[in-house]
Amino acid sequence: MKISNAIYSGFIIFLLLFIAFLYINIEDFEKKITQNIRDVILTNTSYLADNIVSIIKNSVGDEDIYTILKNNPQLRHQLESKMQVLVTPSFKFIYMLYKDKDGRYRYLLDGSKEDKAFFDSKFDVNEKEWNKVYATKKTNIIFQDDLTGLWITTLRPYMIDGNVQGVVAIDFSTKLLDIFSEIMKPMKEVFLYIFFAIIFLFAVILYQIIIQRKTKKETVIDPLTHAYNRVFLRDFIDKIDFYHYDIVMLDLDYFKKINDNYGHKAGDFILESFVGLVKKNLRDKDYIVRFGGEEFLIFLYKERKKQSSAIHTLERIRKRIENYNFVYNDTVIKVTVSIGLVDDMHKYKTIQEVMKKVDERLYAAKHSGRNIIIDSDVSSTNMVQTALMEIEKIKLAIDEGRVFCHFQPIVEIQTQSIVKYEALIRLKDEDGTTIYPNSFLDAIEGTNIYRDMTKKLLEIVFEQTKQKQVAISINLNLSDIADNSIYTILSDELLEHKLYANYLTIELLEYETVLNESLLIERLREIKSYGVSIALDDFGSGYSNFSIFEAFPIDIVKIDGSLIKNIDTSKTSYSIVEAIVRFATNLEMDVVGEFVHNEAVLHKLKELNLQYGQGFHLGKPQEII
Amino acid sequence: MSSALEIEKGIYKTILEALFPSKSIVKVWSDEVSKNPLFASIEGVRVVQNKKDADILMLFHTYDIQKSDQAVFANGYLVLQRNKGNAVGGFYWQKGRPNLVFVKNKLQERGITLPKKLQSYIEDIE
Repeated sequence: MKISNAIYSGFIIFLLLFIAFLYINIEDFEKKITQNIRDVILTNTSYLADNIVSIIKNSVGDEDIYTILKNNPQLRHQLESKMQVLVTPSFKFIYMLYKDKDGRYRYLLDGSKEDKAFFDSKFDVNEKEWNKVYATKKTNIIFQDDLTGLWITTLRPYMIDGNVQGVVAIDFSTKLLDIFSEIMKPMKEVFLYIFFAIIFLFAVILYQIIIQRKTKKETVIDPLTHAYNRVFLRDFIDKIDFYHYDIVMLDLDYFKKINDNYGHKAGDFILESFVGLVKKNLRDKDYIVRFGGEEFLIFLYKERKKQSSAIHTLERIRKRIENYNFVYNDTVIKVTVSIGLVDDMHKYKTIQEVMKKVDERLYAAKHSGRNIIIDSDVSSTNMVQTALMEIEKIKLAIDEGRVFCHFQPIVEIQTQSIVKYEALIRLKDEDGTTIYPNSFLDAIEGTNIYRDMTKKLLEIVFEQTKQKQVAISINLNLSDIADNSIYTILSDELLEHKLYANYLTIELLEYETVLNESLLIERLREIKSYGVSIALDDFGSGYSNFSIFEAFPIDIVKIDGSLIKNIDTSKTSYSIVEAIVRFATNLEMDVVGEFVHNEAVLHKLKELNLQYGQGFHLGKPQEII
Repeated sequence: MSSALEIEKGIYKTILEALFPSKSIVKVWSDEVSKNPLFASIEGVRVVQNKKDADILMLFHTYDIQKSDQAVFANGYLVLQRNKGNAVGGFYWQKGRPNLVFVKNKLQERGITLPKKLQSYIEDIE
């Protein structure tokens, strides 16, 4: 399309130049013709004037012409008759004047057919021009263009013995030039019309090109962030020599939480602002592409003399994002970014290899603590390799069915009987060693692996409830409820096992910051409609907020182990637990004390009438119920 | 560029101011009715219908005007030639050029002194 546009434009420009060339040539042609006509007229007039002078001289001889003509009216009549013969519509007036002693011009002869003047009568002329003839003794020609056409007056001196005795004047008038100009006018107009038509055509094509480019640009630009999109990327990576670029992949850390906690509009705002900030650190030759939801690619053009500029640019971007306050609806949101960089292009043969490597390095950055840049130097460290290996291991464990649960009993304190189990997820590595959640949950958070693992957990738990008819609780983050994909998994499992759903308790974690409250309430109510109980886990630690009970349908409060474990020695812990128990009892909620690790603690819980307890003293987690 | 009419109007204004320097209103009679609007458009000129009321008679066609109390001005070459016994002057177009003539003895008879710029147009016509 570009080539055809270029051909069209080239052709039109050629036509424009050609028409302009023809138009200029016509103008030139007209000027030359006009000049030729003038020359012909002047030549003819000059010959005519010479002939008239000859005729007069033949009749008058070398005598003083005024005296001869004054005294000989018959001679005047003869000469005027001869002059009259020469008068035509073009040679309009032929006459002869002389200058009297007062400097006035008077008639000697008048060959005019009309408007004929008497001998010696005054005639007002352009004295300046006429005097020139007397002064120079040479022919003078006066040009005058007026509305009626071209006037040429030829003034030919009549000389006797080197003195000017009179001036023969011929007034030539013609409309020939105007007629010629009129003939040429339509031709010139045609060229002008063609010229403007082509300009119009050119403008239309130009407009089309602009529209086409604009449309094309719109198809390759992400409307939210104004970064390029994948459509652009496909075309771009085919065209470029990737050795000229450092290729970067960026991912906003914990972006899902921003969407969950602040809503999708806030997420959109962060993405748009993020790209704006990044662009400020890029040059015209650099490109930023939105690769996925919160994942971006940057192609940093390599300057020949600046080998290490990429890492500096990226570090600047990373720090800028880290320090920037994203203010959405008066709320400051902090964001960090993990970055993978491929700056060792010589190692790769294809762009696909580069893309795979940059993806790996971003992954490594994600699982090396986030908010860091992984480039060719860093990615060779053990830390990164370990992180990458862990991910692979977790994925493999799920695929090979090496996910299992330990179940820790929850006991009714007064009767010491087990009422429920808390399912605690575990992995087995290839040699059978148990891997605990603190070794893998952070690594897979926000990934599909995390979702797969949640599904696996639910499957295990429902299998146990079906077999053993026992109540089991599982742990989920509040943000998991807000996450559409996890909520869908949960809903599907509940629907499939709705006969056993009333055995399930969901212990909510990380509920300190609650946004999207209405959505969460709606979903929790939906979950509870299956008979599922909702517990608040680790209550009393961190920034636990009592207002959560106002909004959410909570059935059970699990008091954090940090308060329980010292309840036998710490008056403060005792008072806090006492207050929580009183509060929960008033709201008709069950209370579970965690971390019951000795008899003294258990005794204190009994004293406080706390209903349920959990901890090593009451029962260790075990693989089989 | 001034039109021929404007040039003509300017020349008549100059002529009338020169012939009647002390009159604030010059009454003009013309034998060419179509010229009346031209004269009427000149500042300080009033066109009259009766010859007797006029200060000056503008002749375009009359070749044999008798001696009159009013000044006579010829507006054609032949009109001037035929009335040169009575006309104080003439203005006419000849060969596409404007021509102006004042008759010396008629000016003297009427005690008219022309301004300097017009004195070169005075002719001693017998």
